[in-house]
Amino acid sequence: MSAPRPSGSGIAVLGAVVTLGALAVIPFNPPLLSDWLFRIAMLVMLAVSWNMMASAGMISLGHSAFWGLGGYCCALAANVLGVGFGMSFLAAAVVGAATGLVLALVTGRLRGVFFAVATLALSEGLRIAGLMLPDLTGGAAGLFLAPGARPPANLLYEVAVVAAALSVAITWLLFRTRLRFAVRAMRENEDAAQMLGINPLLFRALISAIAGAMAATAGGFNLWYSGYIAPDIAFTLHFAILAQIAVIIGGINTLAGPVIGAFLIIALSEVTRILVGSREGYSLLIYGVLLVAAISFLPNGLYGLLTHRRMRPTESA
Amino acid sequence: MLLPQVLIDSLLLSGLYALMALGLALSFGVTNVLNFAHGEAIMLGAYGAFFMFSMFGIDPLLALPIVALIGFGAGYLLFETLLRRALHAPQINQILLTFGIGLILSNGAEIAFSPDMRSANPAYASKAILIGSAFVPVGRLAACVVAVVLSAALLWWLHRTEYGRACRAVAQNRLAATLSAINLNNVYAVAFGLSIAIAAATGAALSSVTPVTPFMGFHLLVKAFAIVVLGGMGSVGGALIGALLLGFLETLVAYFVPDGIGWAEGVAFAVLFAVLILRPGGVAGRAVHQ
Repeated sequence: MSAPRPSGSGIAVLGAVVTLGALAVIPFNPPLLSDWLFRIAMLVMLAVSWNMMASAGMISLGHSAFWGLGGYCCALAANVLGVGFGMSFLAAAVVGAATGLVLALVTGRLRGVFFAVATLALSEGLRIAGLMLPDLTGGAAGLFLAPGARPPANLLYEVAVVAAALSVAITWLLFRTRLRFAVRAMRENEDAAQMLGINPLLFRALISAIAGAMAATAGGFNLWYSGYIAPDIAFTLHFAILAQIAVIIGGINTLAGPVIGAFLIIALSEVTRILVGSREGYSLLIYGVLLVAAISFLPNGLYGLLTHRRMRPTESA
Repeated sequence: MLLPQVLIDSLLLSGLYALMALGLALSFGVTNVLNFAHGEAIMLGAYGAFFMFSMFGIDPLLALPIVALIGFGAGYLLFETLLRRALHAPQINQILLTFGIGLILSNGAEIAFSPDMRSANPAYASKAILIGSAFVPVGRLAACVVAVVLSAALLWWLHRTEYGRACRAVAQNRLAATLSAINLNNVYAVAFGLSIAIAAATGAALSSVTPVTPFMGFHLLVKAFAIVVLGGMGSVGGALIGALLLGFLETLVAYFVPDGIGWAEGVAFAVLFAVLILRPGGVAGRAVHQ
């Protein structure tokens, strides 16, 4: 497995072209197509964020914690402080980054599976706090965005595409630096990485803060999209699971993997919606089967499958 | 007087928690794979007991050995087909693999059994006896007694039988166990099957005490994690202490904190987070560091 890294600047150029193309066609798209693009963009942000943490050895099962906090942040910023659409994302990103930072610092001693359990606990704990603090969150009844606060749909879609492209670009820039060597060393063996002079806590905090900001921003988009948030929607594992599966199917620890995966997952969700209706059980069942199958038979994902022959031995393992 | 009631409620809760966590601790201790689908095995055991009760009128506690036996077979097969190949894979593969299996089982159950709440209600389940000033619900008492008996049986098995000792040896030191002519592959599969059998039995005991739903497993799983982490990963004695602690904490919060019944559900998460951060070795267990 290679770390998320540019395989030439080809991916970057391709990404820029696709993004500009998407931006240009959105005003002329039929609404359904724009809707797909928006959902893909949201999932790309979440998947890129999850992949970034996973590539540093931090396996998050509670990405919905960031996602839900981002949603609540935007809702409260808009309703209570009267903050506009654009600035609310800043609030979400700051809170997401702070949560990621705190998570990395307090779980500094935890490895692999224990970190995963801690993230799960964080997300579920937040869900219960959301239910039990109705003065702040509206409790189980949830919060509606103030009427008239929502931006025009096309503007929301365009901003989402730009944000998704930004999240990929940030990852690309970040992993052009020496960070990618540090992160790969940490993933393989954190104690050994430490002996090489890498400060794992520093890198964990950095990665977790950036990934937290991205996931919270994605959650903010979901809020502006639906106009409603409640603890069971905000902290549902549904989107976190989709992000994980997108990364695994697309190719973990690669730059293009989460993007490929996000396109596939949204395509798949449309197909299942047409075939079996909107019942959530069926689609989650299919995602579960996909996850198990991909882990068992395609551990490097589709990107790994496509690039397998071109990989030099030094880049694998 | 509230105190005896709190004490009795906590103990009845702890018995079930102990059984739940023991199953999880067993498979993790021996195979070193944390099974994120353990809650779903509990859920399926509960449905098994519920359907046997509603279709054939079999008492859930009599159905328990049957679902446990099926659970053992299913667990053994699951290990041989999917988990064995992931034993030496990176940890992320193991986590996502068992997580995916749980996703399949819970959503499969939702499709097959509908999301309705079910409950097996034998006549005694709604009765209560009065001891002093405290009420003891008979259904909970029966479930708790069964859980304690099963936990004791597991401990006996681990300490007094050839296979149980082999399991403990593998959990302590894989290499030394291999050198002592213990067949690792066999021990892994048996321990995993047994852990699923215990999960199914937990479900059967729970089926007359709590509502049975397709997604009950997830919340139970996090509680079981909290207990196992509280007690120290992979330590059976620690899991028992952890179960007692969590049972008491949840009951105390439910009784004495305003809106406590809602907050009690969050105790497990708070405990889990706090222990992982403050004392990752648990109260009596090996350290979390790999």
